[in-house]
Amino acid sequence: MHEMSIALDVGRIAEERVGPAAAGNVVTVALEVGADAGVEVENLEFCLDVVLSQPPFGRARALIERRPGDVLRVAYLEVDEPS
Amino acid sequence: MTIRTIEIRERVMEKNDEMARDVRRRVHAAGVPTFNLVSSPGSGKTSLLERTLDELGKEFPIAVVTGDVQTVNDAERLARRTARLVQAVVTGGACHLDAKQVEAALEAIELDQTRLLFIENVGNLVCPASWDLGEDAKIVVFSVTEGEDKPLKYPKMFRQSRYAVLNKIDLLPYVPFDVDRAVGFAREVNPDLDFFFTSALTGEGMDDWFTFLRDQVYGAKVRH
Repeated sequence: MHEMSIALDVGRIAEERVGPAAAGNVVTVALEVGADAGVEVENLEFCLDVVLSQPPFGRARALIERRPGDVLRVAYLEVDEPS
Repeated sequence: MTIRTIEIRERVMEKNDEMARDVRRRVHAAGVPTFNLVSSPGSGKTSLLERTLDELGKEFPIAVVTGDVQTVNDAERLARRTARLVQAVVTGGACHLDAKQVEAALEAIELDQTRLLFIENVGNLVCPASWDLGEDAKIVVFSVTEGEDKPLKYPKMFRQSRYAVLNKIDLLPYVPFDVDRAVGFAREVNPDLDFFFTSALTGEGMDDWFTFLRDQVYGAKVRH
């Protein structure tokens, strides 16, 4: 269950950074998840799929990079910017 | 189409941690030792608190914030033992308390008239380990009817906790539970863990627990 709380917080961080209007342009949300972070990665991936497929997002996918330790953070976003 | 990369490097749950820092600042300013009780369901957190309220509630005011997924049963049990405030938080399905819920609960607690604060978390040995609530220390409660290897199965919780209570020791003659083995596993995960051995049902071993709590209240001796 707490993976959904984490996924919602990831969505909050991404939306705050790009703004609600541009959230639909986010294509990648990259996370670093430590082996001791207390997170079930497959479960988190599922929850992120749910969060990132809904407004204000829609086309974003999560990219989880596994790390040692208990790190749990959003590393970077990739945003598709119209030329 | 141009893909732009935006560096973030923000810790997930930083908002929670900000609120937890605020809770910690408030309880420290009021001089109220604050403990977050965590365990799997049925380890005896509520019974431990009932005994504690019976014994120490006469000496100094104790407030409790108690979280449950769906009912207020634990809060009602505790409210029968104390005239002090028992603040119930029904998480509505969430498997842990968060700092926002504790911060909201503090609004109903007169901290300047409180000497000790317990947060009874939702019964779950996984998720509450990841959430700072602003407590001085987490206290993990487990019981002799559980496996001795609980600390190895849930290392993060035992690593995050400063104290452990092994409860239901009155049942030791009837269950195949090796106390030394359990303590060894726990110290393997967290060598600094201090233990209490209690039966909240019979009162056995509770004196050490009460002494510890009195020390916290009268001397503010939480070890971090």
